[in-house]
Amino acid sequence: MRYLLYFLRKQYIYFLFLALEAISLLLLFNKNDYQNSALTAVSNGFAGSVLNISSNVSDYFSLRRVNQILAEDNASLHSNRSEAFYKADTASFYQHDTLYKLEYRYISAKVINNSTNKRNNFLMLNKGHRQGIENHMGVIIGDRIVGQVVSVSDHFCWVMSLLNKDSRISGKFKKNNQLVNIEWGGGNYQIGEVKEIPKHVVIRKGDTIITSGNSDIFPEGLLIGTIDNFTIAQEENFNYATIRFATDFNSMSFVEVLIDMMRKEKENLKNSFKSNER
Amino acid sequence: MTIIILKNIGRFVFLILFQVLILNNIQFSGYINPYFYIYFILLLPFETPRWLLLLSAFMLGISLDAFTNTFGLNAAACVLVAFVRPFVISAISTGTEFMIGHSPSLKNQGLKWFAYYSIILVGVHHFALFYLEIFRFTEFFQTLLRVLLSSIFTLLIIFIAQYLSYPAEK
Repeated sequence: MRYLLYFLRKQYIYFLFLALEAISLLLLFNKNDYQNSALTAVSNGFAGSVLNISSNVSDYFSLRRVNQILAEDNASLHSNRSEAFYKADTASFYQHDTLYKLEYRYISAKVINNSTNKRNNFLMLNKGHRQGIENHMGVIIGDRIVGQVVSVSDHFCWVMSLLNKDSRISGKFKKNNQLVNIEWGGGNYQIGEVKEIPKHVVIRKGDTIITSGNSDIFPEGLLIGTIDNFTIAQEENFNYATIRFATDFNSMSFVEVLIDMMRKEKENLKNSFKSNER
Repeated sequence: MTIIILKNIGRFVFLILFQVLILNNIQFSGYINPYFYIYFILLLPFETPRWLLLLSAFMLGISLDAFTNTFGLNAAACVLVAFVRPFVISAISTGTEFMIGHSPSLKNQGLKWFAYYSIILVGVHHFALFYLEIFRFTEFFQTLLRVLLSSIFTLLIIFIAQYLSYPAEK
C-alpha cells in the first residue's frame, strides 16, 4: 500500500495528464449527454453574452446588405398579399378554409456567431427555450436551408450548419423528384457533395436540388443548391456530383427557425408505430 | 511573482478573445485556421510546476471550446501540448541555465531554439486538433494539408508577436 502511494505520488503528473485527457475526450464524444447538461447552460450563457456584444458591433458593417435582403423579402411578401391578386370573385378570397391548417411557424433570430472555415461549423442564435426553440428544429434563411438546432439554453441556441461532417440532408432533383443525399466534405464552403445519385438519372449542370421533405426537420421544396459538376461512375452503382449551395453561409445576419406545429402528432404517430411493431 | 501571475492571466483572457473575436472569423479558403491562442502555453514561465501547466492548459482549451460548441476538442489538444512541453524543452536545450521567472522567448533563447520549440508544440497541437475534429481516416491527406497550412500561419503570428514584444536592439 505504501509503495502504491509512493508510486502514485511519484507519477502523479501522468495520472493528471490521463485524467484531463479522459475528461476532454468524454466531453467530445459523448454528445447526447452534454446537450442539456448544466455545462452547456452555463457556458452558453457566458459565451453567448460575449458573442452578443461582438455581434452588436460587427452588425453595423453589414447594415447595407441586410437592408437589401429585408427589402427583397418585403417585396416578395407584398406580392403574395391578397391585394396583389386580381379579384374575380371577392367572396372566395376571405373564406375561412378549414382544409388548410398552419403547419410551420417561423421565428426570426439573429446570428451572433458563425464560422465557415472549420471542418465542423456551428452558428449561435440569440433565441432559446424562452422563445420556444427546441432541439432538432430546422433553420432557414428565406427559402434556403441553413441547418438544424443541436443545443439550446434559456436565451441562446447552437445550430449545426450544413457545413459539418455530421450533417446529412435528404434532397431531391426538382425536375424529376429523384432522391439524393447532400453532405459537405470540407474545404470550400460554397461547394457540397451529392451522393447516391441513381445511375438512370440524367444529370445536367445547373439542375436544382431541393429538400425532399422526408426528414422531420425541413418541409419539402426548400432550395439547397444547383449542380456544379458531376462524374459518371463506371464501376459503382451511383453517380457523384458536387453542388453549389444556394445559401451564402459566410454572410448571414438574420435567419428563421422553423417551428413545426404538428411535430408532437408526427412523433406520437411514429412512436405508436414502433410500439406496435414490437 | 504576483506580477507574473497577473500578466499570465491577462494574456489568457486577451488570447481567448483575440482567437474568438478575430481569428475565428477570418476566412481563408477553409484550409487555414490559425490557432494563435496556444501562445499562452508557449509563454508560461520555465519553472511553472507541471500540474499547473496541465491544469491551465485544460482551462484554456475548455474556455475556447465554450465559444465554438466543441467541448473537449481544444482542451484535449492543449493538455497534450502542456504535457509534452517539458520534454521538448529538455530535449532541445543544451544545459543553458534559464532565469527564474522568465518565459521562453526569441530574444533570450535565440532564434534556433525558439523556432524548434514553437514548431514542435504548434505541430503537436494542430495535428491533435484537426484529426480529433474530423475523426475519420477518409480525409487523411486533406486534413494533413490543413494541419500544415494552419501551422505555418500560427507560427507566422507567433513570430510577429515575438518581434513586436522584443524589438531588435540597434
